[in-house]
Parts: sequence; structure tokens; C-alpha cells
Amino acid sequence: MGDDQTRNTISETDTLNLPILIIGGGISGITSAVELAEAGQEVVLIEKENYLGGNVSHFNNYFPKLCPPSCGLEINYQRIRSNPRISYYTGASLKNICGTDGDFMVNIQLKPRLINNSCTSCGKCAEVCPEERPAKLGRTAGEKAAFINNGLAFPMKYCIDPEVCKREACARCLEVCDYNAIQLDASPAEVGIQAGKIIVATGWNLYNATLIENYRYSEESDVVTNVEFERMLAACTREKIKLTRPSDGLTPRRIAFVQCAGSRDINHLPYCSAVCCSASLKHALTLEAEYPEIDAEIFYIDMRLSGRNEKLLKQAEEKERITLTKGKVGRILPGDEEKGLVLEVEDISSGCKRKDTYDMVVLAMGLTPTPVAAGLKVNEYGFYLPDQPSGMIPTASCKRPMDVSSSVKDATASALKAMQR
Amino acid sequence: MSTINPDLGFKRKLTRLSGSQLNQCMQCGNCSAVCSLAPTERPFPRKEMIWSGWGLKDKLMGNVDIWLCHQCGDCSTYCPRDVKPADVISAIRQTSYQHYARPLFLGKLVSNPVWLPLAIAIPVVVIIAILFLAGTFKIPPGPVDYSAFFPHGLLNGTFSAITLFFYLLASFGIGRFWKDMKIQTPPGEAGRKRLPVFRVLREILSHSNFSGCGSRTPGKVAHLLLFFGFTLLIMVTLYAIWATVTHHYPLPITNPFKILGNLASVMIFSGLGIMTWQRLFNKSVFGKSAYTDWLILAAIALLTLSGTLVQLARFGDWSIAYHLYFFHLVAVWFVIMYMPFTKLGHIFYRTTALLYARSIGRK
Repeated sequence: MGDDQTRNTISETDTLNLPILIIGGGISGITSAVELAEAGQEVVLIEKENYLGGNVSHFNNYFPKLCPPSCGLEINYQRIRSNPRISYYTGASLKNICGTDGDFMVNIQLKPRLINNSCTSCGKCAEVCPEERPAKLGRTAGEKAAFINNGLAFPMKYCIDPEVCKREACARCLEVCDYNAIQLDASPAEVGIQAGKIIVATGWNLYNATLIENYRYSEESDVVTNVEFERMLAACTREKIKLTRPSDGLTPRRIAFVQCAGSRDINHLPYCSAVCCSASLKHALTLEAEYPEIDAEIFYIDMRLSGRNEKLLKQAEEKERITLTKGKVGRILPGDEEKGLVLEVEDISSGCKRKDTYDMVVLAMGLTPTPVAAGLKVNEYGFYLPDQPSGMIPTASCKRPMDVSSSVKDATASALKAMQR
Repeated sequence: MSTINPDLGFKRKLTRLSGSQLNQCMQCGNCSAVCSLAPTERPFPRKEMIWSGWGLKDKLMGNVDIWLCHQCGDCSTYCPRDVKPADVISAIRQTSYQHYARPLFLGKLVSNPVWLPLAIAIPVVVIIAILFLAGTFKIPPGPVDYSAFFPHGLLNGTFSAITLFFYLLASFGIGRFWKDMKIQTPPGEAGRKRLPVFRVLREILSHSNFSGCGSRTPGKVAHLLLFFGFTLLIMVTLYAIWATVTHHYPLPITNPFKILGNLASVMIFSGLGIMTWQRLFNKSVFGKSAYTDWLILAAIALLTLSGTLVQLARFGDWSIAYHLYFFHLVAVWFVIMYMPFTKLGHIFYRTTALLYARSIGRK
């Protein structure tokens, strides 16, 4: 290591003539984009949602230092804004990829935002909007059709969900907008992008919790996934409100965390999702620090923490209001008189079967790969293989489950890989 | 310091019988958590899984809990590693029959297909010997009259004596089983209560433990049919033996006991039909079927079928009537005499284990 002859030096001549396309505008895609642009490379970033930032922008805090997402994202947004070599498209879905390594032609479709760049994000459109987007994974119930990413909006402009908006039949937002920003007749557009290299940073999905029938996710509103819980915590931090449980709006006193919900299970995901143990410890420590009325208990098979995340375990072990119990939860049942949720589990350390009641249950769900983009090779679980014959470069959590800090390192490495001829 | 003596041969045997990759078990405890019958204190089957993986035969042979399991298969269905705890427990039970069999040879005889010809030959030779001794070993002319060929008194007497002898041998094994249970699962501080005979009898008759099981109501129906069909047939047979001594035998088709006997065989056929269907087509719930499972299903099926045919042959004056009766007697031997050493031995072992478990308050 450190041998000057083998070390790659980046110079102007190393940059490609064609821009590098990055698919996915989450923390990894953004990282690759700014690294490349700051090394002198033209990049085009495309994101299917209306905002950059991906999952991290909705988080309460993230690894490794448990910072709020603003901590890492704002500086990156600033780097994007100030760098003329980065162009980006939001609401962009991939139509097809043609060509070969060094000369790709990519067609993307842009869904209409229905609000143009004149928007000052005053929010009047959302105030009068009568339509609501359906509540979905982590999406706050009651979000209007005219909305802005309630985490860290980039671009800092409202948009309208074309699938919910009634367009001209309603048009109340048109009347209140003082900046002529509303364009209800906008239609989808298609754009062709020529690219020398493609970095795929499509990230992860959460495993479908309704498939784990024993955990009654479909039946019980107080059984939530860890991503939903993360966003609930984020909403509490943002709006400075108390944490309440979904079923009756009361403050939960006991919250159980169920590890390996879907992971390490031959009936679901055979692999370890790698981040869920750290995530649940993070949640428990957040509750311990900010919600003194709530006790947390984590049920685990093994606590699997890597690198510096190990210290989360040491911290949690010292806390009186955090209990760590070895044993995989077998079933979640409704409590007596429909109060609370009963967890059936063998406490392996004591060798006794427990049936205790909790006010709320957080499922530490496994991570799945994103659907396959055309021409990419995947492993047995559907994650992208690191080396692709097509020359495309998958990066970060679409290759295997990994936390933010690992993803950022991998995205930086992918940027370097993309610049090498 | 305790010493662990793994019995690798025992582990290999369990692996072969259950088809389970014991080393794949990660001891997560999901099996114990989903089991509806596992007691609160020291639930099963997670601990049985680690003992099996380590080849700890001594811990598993006197184990009470494997007999509390009624094989609903929930532990296997939801096992995240597909190590099939239900099949492992079933394999431990199979091994127990052989372990406690005295002489050991009798356990081997009915647990391995290699010995099947000998297992069949023994009753064949004994029956022929009885016929020779009675001097009736010649098919009589005229309408079918079984007593002209089979000396009922001698046959019934010899069969009863051999059955009692075999069961006496088995009782020694059950005695050792009881002693092992006391070592493996000593009574708690509350001590041991008087034997809760009526409670266990009620559990068995009502099949209440099957209802406690998660996803297996079809298993309960089939077992109920077989259990009561079998009980009924034994009662009818005892009556028939008594009838041969006291008054005219065979019984006419209109005799209430004859009708009951036929009803019982219908029940047994239905039960067997369901069980076979489940073993063949619902493997995900009913697990792997071993030689002993099929042996006993086949023996009961042949016993009931030949019994029905023997009766038809008598009324229909079939020429093969005597051959059928001979076959029927061999099947009787298989089911009744070999009972403590085959899978049907669960009648003795499970009852004993239930008596012990309930007497120490384990539920």
C-alpha cells in the first residue's frame, strides 16, 4: 500500500468525455455525484421521487454518529447547488438503457410536478388542497396532494401528486398561488441522456411485513416497521411533539423491538440484513434519552453489530430502561380486552417461555434489493453483483444491506471506479 | 465441572430418521415460542434440538417433553432454518421404543426393513406349529368353518400368553423409562402428587392435547377415528374370545357385537385413509414419514382389511377363506404382540409420560 506507482492519480485527462449517469438520488447517489463533479467530471443524477435525499432525508438520525439527516444532507445539497457539473432530474423513471460501456443512451420519463420553478414554497397550495395522499410506508397520514418533502426538501419547492390531484376539476391552488407556479396541465416529458458510465445507486426496500403472518402487521396498527418508527421519531423531533401509538394516540409505556423480522429466515429472507440490530439499539437509546416514560425491550437471536456500532450495545447494556432479551419472537397476539400486544417468546437465558404485554411493537424488518434494472446481474437474493459485464457500476445498498456510513464509503469508491477507463 | 459425552452414532441415527440438518439449528427459540403445548418452565423443543445436535442421548431418552408433543408441525412450519424440530422429536420417540425394548432384539426386529422377513416369519412359524400340534393343518371340505381348521381355544390361549409375555417384557422397559424421567425431570419443590390417572384418561379420551396443538385439526379427527375404532375392535375381540368358550361361535351378522366390529373397521379405514393421505400429500405439516410410520399404518390396514375379508369369505363360502384367516392372524401378531416395540408403543410410553408430567405439575 502507498506505492506511488500503483496509486491512481486523478487528473483532467482521466475524466470521460461523456457525463456519468447516476441512477438514484439517495445518500449514495448524491455522494457519488458530488465526488465525481468535484473531481471535474460531468454528472447527471436521476431520482424517481420528487426530491433528492432518499430514505435518509426521512430519518430521525443516522449512522455512524447518530446525527440528524440535515447534518450530512445539507452540505451535500450545497455542493450540488454550487457545482455546475451536476445536473439532476427528480420524478424521473428509467425507461430503457441502450448502448455499451463508454457510450450509453438512457431514456428517462419525467412525471409532471404540476408546480414550476417559480414556487417559493410558501405552502398556500397545500393549505387549500382538499385531496390527501394515501398513507403509505412512512408517509404521514393526511399529507395533501400538494406537498413538500417534510424532511429536507431538495429542490425546495412544492409539487403535486398527479395520481391524487383532480386537476382543473378542483384548481383551488391556482386561485391562491401568487407566483403563477401552478401548472395543472403539465404532462409527462421524456429525456434522452448520453452517458459514458452508469452508477446504479437504487438502494434498498423494506421486506413486506404483511408476509410474516405471525406478527400480525396487517391486523394490528400498533405493530409498526422500524422504518415507520424511525419516521415517527423524526416527526416528533421536527414538530416537537410526544410519541404516540397509532391505535389510540396514547403514549406507549413499553415498546418491544422484534429483531430478525423476516431476516435470517428461510421462509422469508435467508440472509442477515446487517443494519437492523444497530437500528433497534439506536431507537432504544433515542427513547432512553428523550422519552423518559418509555421502556424498551429488544428481542434478538444474536446482536450483530459491526465496527463502531458495537459501542451502541455497550451503551444500551448500561441503561436501566433498556432490556435485551435473547430469543426470537414466535408470535404477536392481541392482548386481553384488546389492550396492548402479547409477545410469545422463549427467554433463552432463563429458559422460560414468556407472554408479556407491550403497548407497541417495532419490527426490525429485513432489507431487500430494489427491482432489477435492465441488463444487471444479480445474486441469488436479487442484490446486484459488484462486477457487471455491461460496465454499469452498482453501488452501496443495492449490492447488499449496509448502513449509511458504509454506503457513503462505497459510493465514493464507485465514483473512483467510474472515472477509471 | 460437567463432562459432555456426545454419542455421535445416536446423532447420526436421529439425522437419518428425521432428515433434519441438526447442525443448522441456531437456537433462536422460535420453535418453543410458537408451540402451543410447551410448558412455561423449560419449554420444548429448543433444548431437545441442542441436545440432539450434541448427541446427548442420555438427556433425550428419559425426556418427558417429547411425549407432550402431539406433532402439529408448527415448530417445523415456522422454523427459520428449516431444521424440522417436529421430525426430530418424532425421531427421538422412535429411538426410545428401541432403546427401552427388552430384549433389544425385539426393538431392532420392527425398526429396520432388513429384519421384516424375520418379523413376518416368527408368527407364521408359530401359527403353523399350533396347527400341527392341534392336528388340524389340512383345509377341511364343505362350507367354510374356521374352527375346523383353526383350533380356537389353543390359538387364543397361545396368543394371549405370548401377548402377556411380550407386554411383561415391555413393562421392564417402561419401568426404566419412569426411572430415567425422574432423573431428567425431577419433581419441583411442590413434589410429586398421587398419580392423576383420571385426569390423564380424560386427556386421552377427549384428545384435548390435539386441540391445544396449533394447526392440526385433521390430525385429531384421524387419530380419534383410529383410537376409538381400535378400542372398539379390542372389546369386540375380547367378547368373541369369550363367545368361543361359552356359546356358539362364529357370531351371526346380526349380532350387535358383529355390527359394532364392522362399524369399528369403517372408523379405522377412514382414519387410516386420512392419515395416509396426509403423510403423502401434506408433508409440509406432517413432516417426514419413516419406516415405522408406514409399517404400523400398513399393519393396521392389513389387519382390518383381512378381518373384513375373513368375515365376507365365511358368508360367501370363498375357497381362500382359510388362507385369509391365516394372513389375518399374522397381522394380529404384528399389531398386538409387537405393539410395545413399534410406533404403537406410544400407547404405553405417552400414557406413562403424561402420568409422570401431570403428577409433577408439568403442563
